[in-house]
Amino acid sequence: MLNYYLKLSWLSLRQTPVISALMVLVIAIGIGVSMTTLTVYHLKNINPMAHKNERLLTVQLQTKGEASDAALPEQLTYQDVMQLRQSDIPVRQAAMYRTGFTVQPVNPEIKPFIERARVTDSAFFTLFDVEFIHGGPWDKQLDEIGDNVTVITADFNDKLFGGQDGSVNSVGRTIDLNGVQYTVVGVIRDYDPAPKFYDLNNGAFDSGDDIHIPFSLTPVHHYPSWGSTVSWKSEKISTPLQWLQSEIFWLQFWVEIDGPQMQAQYQDYLNAHIVQQREIGRFSRADAGAVLSNVRQWLDSKEVVGSDSRVLVGLSFMFLVVCVVNTVGLLLARFLRRAPQVGVRRALGASQLEVFKQHLVEVALVGFCGGLLGLLFTFLGLSGLRSVFSNFERFSQIDLTMTLAVFVIAIVSSLLAGVYPAYRICQTNPATLLKTQ
Amino acid sequence: MLKMNSIAKVYRTDMIETHALRALDLHVKEGEFVSVTGPSGSGKTTFLNITGLLETFTGGEYLLDNVDVGQLNDRERSRIRNEKIGFIFQGFNLIPELNLFDNVDVPLRYRGFSGKERKARIEDALEKVGLAARMKHYPAQLSGGQQQRVAIARALAGQPRFLLADEPTGNLDSLMARQVMELLEQINQQGTTIIMVTHDPELARRAQRNIQIIDGQVNDFSIYEGAASA
Repeated sequence: MLNYYLKLSWLSLRQTPVISALMVLVIAIGIGVSMTTLTVYHLKNINPMAHKNERLLTVQLQTKGEASDAALPEQLTYQDVMQLRQSDIPVRQAAMYRTGFTVQPVNPEIKPFIERARVTDSAFFTLFDVEFIHGGPWDKQLDEIGDNVTVITADFNDKLFGGQDGSVNSVGRTIDLNGVQYTVVGVIRDYDPAPKFYDLNNGAFDSGDDIHIPFSLTPVHHYPSWGSTVSWKSEKISTPLQWLQSEIFWLQFWVEIDGPQMQAQYQDYLNAHIVQQREIGRFSRADAGAVLSNVRQWLDSKEVVGSDSRVLVGLSFMFLVVCVVNTVGLLLARFLRRAPQVGVRRALGASQLEVFKQHLVEVALVGFCGGLLGLLFTFLGLSGLRSVFSNFERFSQIDLTMTLAVFVIAIVSSLLAGVYPAYRICQTNPATLLKTQ
Repeated sequence: MLKMNSIAKVYRTDMIETHALRALDLHVKEGEFVSVTGPSGSGKTTFLNITGLLETFTGGEYLLDNVDVGQLNDRERSRIRNEKIGFIFQGFNLIPELNLFDNVDVPLRYRGFSGKERKARIEDALEKVGLAARMKHYPAQLSGGQQQRVAIARALAGQPRFLLADEPTGNLDSLMARQVMELLEQINQQGTTIIMVTHDPELARRAQRNIQIIDGQVNDFSIYEGAASA
């Protein structure tokens, strides 16, 4: 009967094209508005490391003084990171921070330019599944005793050495960063997760870094932090060494640990670190402790997708509800106008249920058409966002999940709108329906 | 086949009660052709609606093929309408956006027949009413008489036990009315029971039996012998 009802529905839509188009348009506008906001919300809320969410953890230590507020510091001090890097419990671990360089290209036609860089450990690349085009990470040994090596992105590689998408193998060549020569050991595909979960300091949706430098070079070159630097303690810092020994929070630290048992063991290790530091006079507050968060927990705790986004999604869906309510009126008028036909069908043997089903199929078809047009409106809405806000580029791509969601929401909305009119028409006495003929 | 005992129908509003039928008794045997006459507002249409299970009654007992239809739910009543009863309306009640084939197909769809079975029945029914060649036409392309013949084909396609006709010639000129009446008589001769509501005493006389409904009751009961030959 579904095919039959679809045929009847199509005939019905064609019979009253204006009111049909109006219903489709109302649904489509509601879908377009709600799906535009939902798509942005959905893409902002994605966990880029969902496949290893349970194994990938970031470390936070409550190391502030007693007089400071209880908020858990988002980053770590250099001295704590250097301690934590000694543990062999994690499969992989990487400390990191953002810095920047003036790049002096070899090609005299390219003017020097400033570029952002990430100072980190060699495990950064395997930890976050970064794909290499040429070469690989620097040797693990260089995480202890630094050397002037670098891993660059394909985009940066193209900029300095030509080619496209990292086609030129620059491994072994050198680049000038702040007047120091660094040897390229690897070229990676552009790594730009959104949100940039591993470092939220410059904005969760800030783009990634093109240059990667060993963390062990920090005490050698004293790279400045281009991220957040926060301290609870008033300290005199006039030398790079004082900076490294300070209580300033400026480093991110990520570990990969398999299974709850090993994670519990690592938690014990962190707790022992707290106790040990307390013994030497640090971590004086009573609630000093360590917190491990996986990627999802980390993103949620940092409220990467703010409540304003949720409110916006809520408002847009309220608009969809208004559209649905309007559609109820249109459907009711349409169905009641067709009452005599329903009377004939009832006389010829259609039960109330069959009449109800026939009308629901019709509203589902309206919903499907509304979904098609709504998808177009969603594309237009996202294009509009892209053209107005350049930083919306990455959040205005509609994926398969959202495309399916468009149709599901459109059809469900239409069915909700159609339930009452369909119920009304199928409940009416067939003799009454025939009288209206 | 059809037995009504003390059937009553009362329409109630907040202000008034209207007694459309009062203790109506009727017994129709298999193969009969019964005409129903009576003045406007006498309850003829209510009687026909109750007979065709389009409307419920407020009192009495109605047995159709020994089944007490007063006890049936909507699904069961719909199935009986679909399988046992054919309707012919004064206004034809064809669905304008469906062609003749699809109009005749309507009751068969609810019957659950296969596509092949439906096609055979539709072609046969349209053949019987002389419109097989026009099955792709739409109702608006036909005359009133032809539309009524399509309605009869639609009623016949399900091979019902009896036909209920509500002023089947009311919208037709005399020539077409005669053709439709002859068609109904042929159908009756093939064994289908017919109950026909009409204002036309001439047509009423052509039935085997005429009943008059006045003030919601069967007031008169006459048998016209040899009616079929009229």
